[in-house]
Amino acid sequence: MKTIFVAAVAATLTATGAFAQEDFPTGPVTIIVPYGTGGSTDSTARPLAIELERIWEQPVVIVNRPGAGSMIGTTEMTQADPDGHTLLINTAAISTAPAIQTDLQYDPEEDVTPISLLVTSPYILVGGANVESDDLSGFIEEAQDRPMFMGTAGPGSSSHFMSELVIEATDLPADIVHFSGGGEAYTNMMGGHSDTYISTTASVMPYVNDGRVKALSVLAPERFDLLPEIPSSGEAGVSGVDINGWVALFGPGGMDEELAQQINADFDEAMASDRMQDLLAENYALAGDLSPAEFREIYLRDIGIWQDLATSRGIGQ
Amino acid sequence: MELLANLALGLETAVTPTNLLFCFAGVFLGTFVGVIPGVGPLAAISMLFPLTFYLDPTAALIMLAGIYYGTTYGGSTASILLNIPGATSSAVTCLDGHPMAKQGRAGVALFMTTIASFAGGSFGIIVLSLFSPLIAEYALTFGPAEYFSLMVLGLVAASTIANAAPSKGLAMVVLGMLVATVGTDSQSGVGRFTFGSMSLLEGFGISAMAMGLFGIGEILSSVGAKRIAKVDKSSAKLLNMLPTKDDWRRSWLPGLRGSSIGAFIGALPGTGPSIAVFMAYAVEKRTSKTPERFGNGAIEGLVAPETANNAADQTAFIPTLTLGIPGSATMALMLGALMIHGIQPGPTLIVDQPSLFWGLVMSFWIGNLLLLVLNLPLIGLWVRLLLIPYHFLYPAILVFLCIGAYSVRANPADVLVVLGFGFVGYAMRLADLPAAPLLLGFVLGPLVEAQFRRAMVLARGDFTAILERPIAGTVLVLSAIVLIWTLVSAVLRRRRGPNPTEEPSSDT
Repeated sequence: MKTIFVAAVAATLTATGAFAQEDFPTGPVTIIVPYGTGGSTDSTARPLAIELERIWEQPVVIVNRPGAGSMIGTTEMTQADPDGHTLLINTAAISTAPAIQTDLQYDPEEDVTPISLLVTSPYILVGGANVESDDLSGFIEEAQDRPMFMGTAGPGSSSHFMSELVIEATDLPADIVHFSGGGEAYTNMMGGHSDTYISTTASVMPYVNDGRVKALSVLAPERFDLLPEIPSSGEAGVSGVDINGWVALFGPGGMDEELAQQINADFDEAMASDRMQDLLAENYALAGDLSPAEFREIYLRDIGIWQDLATSRGIGQ
Repeated sequence: MELLANLALGLETAVTPTNLLFCFAGVFLGTFVGVIPGVGPLAAISMLFPLTFYLDPTAALIMLAGIYYGTTYGGSTASILLNIPGATSSAVTCLDGHPMAKQGRAGVALFMTTIASFAGGSFGIIVLSLFSPLIAEYALTFGPAEYFSLMVLGLVAASTIANAAPSKGLAMVVLGMLVATVGTDSQSGVGRFTFGSMSLLEGFGISAMAMGLFGIGEILSSVGAKRIAKVDKSSAKLLNMLPTKDDWRRSWLPGLRGSSIGAFIGALPGTGPSIAVFMAYAVEKRTSKTPERFGNGAIEGLVAPETANNAADQTAFIPTLTLGIPGSATMALMLGALMIHGIQPGPTLIVDQPSLFWGLVMSFWIGNLLLLVLNLPLIGLWVRLLLIPYHFLYPAILVFLCIGAYSVRANPADVLVVLGFGFVGYAMRLADLPAAPLLLGFVLGPLVEAQFRRAMVLARGDFTAILERPIAGTVLVLSAIVLIWTLVSAVLRRRRGPNPTEEPSSDT
């Protein structure tokens, strides 16, 4: 009931917002992608830009600013005017970075306006060649006899934070091994050098579908609608690991609320296009349907969770 | 016979007029962009990547691949003529290629490079089409311990590549490893020696560093110097470009060894072409009866790294296509091009998308053939580059170097890195210290460190567990033998008295 109400309010606000900001955009819109050309975030942003050009009838330019775990591009965005003409598409890295980078050059709360949750999907725990069990409870048991190696894409990556979260929630006997990027984490798991990796559906499913790694668990209380055959961590009696991965849209801090609403609505329209729906289906992911205010809550909540975890597990120290 | 059918299918895909056109466009663009000093494959592909968004996946990949090896080829041209490498891998080409140019044999060097590139590329393609799935599976058995041992072997070999005392080479390798510690620590995520600078968190850019050390260093030391390259209109004539019988005789074995080393190293997802090139050069110098010719325009020292480079460029596609895992930043872009079109590379790619896979393989070969056809007539043109007076050429090169450095990561700090290492490179020339080992130390240092620390975590802190692994153990023992041999032979040479540094060489 509450959700319907919120949605209704959001819809009304969106409508009035669109009316009030009839003149946006007044010129080309720059979307900063804080990762390299051809990466997964870039591959979401570029088709989105094509749809937005259609909606806005203005050029939409993708600018790749990779480096420092997405913080170079993110910092650049926070320094722009909050007029909606400079935006940022980033992953959950924007919520983990404050937990490990002590010398951030912006305030994650004040200098960032969360606008829209574009794509969301649960994290999946996958096991490699040496893992015998097929689900999380079996895996926890197996680890009692043979402590596991949990591979990550690097210190401070979401795979690292999620692995630490699983270790903390299940008291798993496991060591973290950091690889340079997801690719190395996968090859080492396939070759039996490490045991697990945690990433979102888009990243793990191609390898799961090939049968080279197995999906042990969706890290969520319930099974994921798009992949009902994978057991959930809730079924294994594990709680406290249900954080979702996402790709989201941000603007500089202090952006006008109505403007944020309008941009949120325009991106919703772009995400509803066939092109983006196909992309979502390929990646086993869902389009987000949150208002800027609702997404802000998630953004701040996740930052808090990662900061607490970093303190309790001694990450980045 | 299945292979023949597959190749036929590939040929059918590759020689459609559209795909041929894109192949040619890629190779053509690649060659010309690559000749610009300072622009390497990664920069060229990143810049041209968005273009391929609007093409069908096969055409897109064919064009990107064309740009990829076109740039590599063009980079060699710039290395030989100007001593300014566009990529790490062509830094080795400078070692003997540039001395050849100085001896008035630029045409021969370029000719042999073209042939070596084609031969190495063809070798790589044969390996790619015959053994892809097999190699991909084998590469998986390489864990951190195996990579660590391979890197150690590379480092030991590296100290001997330069034409200097082993102590100088070793010192530069270590210096390179030290410089490489700047940046994020691979296992804790803590910034090392970054002084709070976000640009330094990523470490120094490898291309920026290579451009500074070699490119700016070359320019600084040539300012005011009299032109030493013997070049006039006649060296651009076909007759003066043709290698002698002696050149051919000296080249075929190094070419074969270079191809094999390149094909092997290139197929490992954790290494990449630059290491293959250094290894191939080191092997040639070690096995040569006249190692003192290396660095003074030995044709073996040009052919081996060139074949290795091109073979590695081709086999680097093996992990990318069959495992879905890119071995280098350039390959990650190729993978991105596939993914954008909804194609997920993996073991099933060959089965699911046979026309794409085999079309690509055949287009690689056609691309290499096009390079040959395109570049043989162009050699004369490239050689004439040397006729441009320094005071026109060098300012232009400086601008290109800065653009090239910036374009790799779109980070202005990289331009400063180029300048900084330019002065370092110049100082090293004055002190007669070799730059190539420094570069190799810089490439291998972080890999050795990260792989060693991973291997130690996986061995739960027990170093003997690493030695017990068959591949890792063998390679480590081999490295120890090479190291001891180097030391012993150095001592023996000293007892025998100083060697003549230059033998009367038969190829001038």
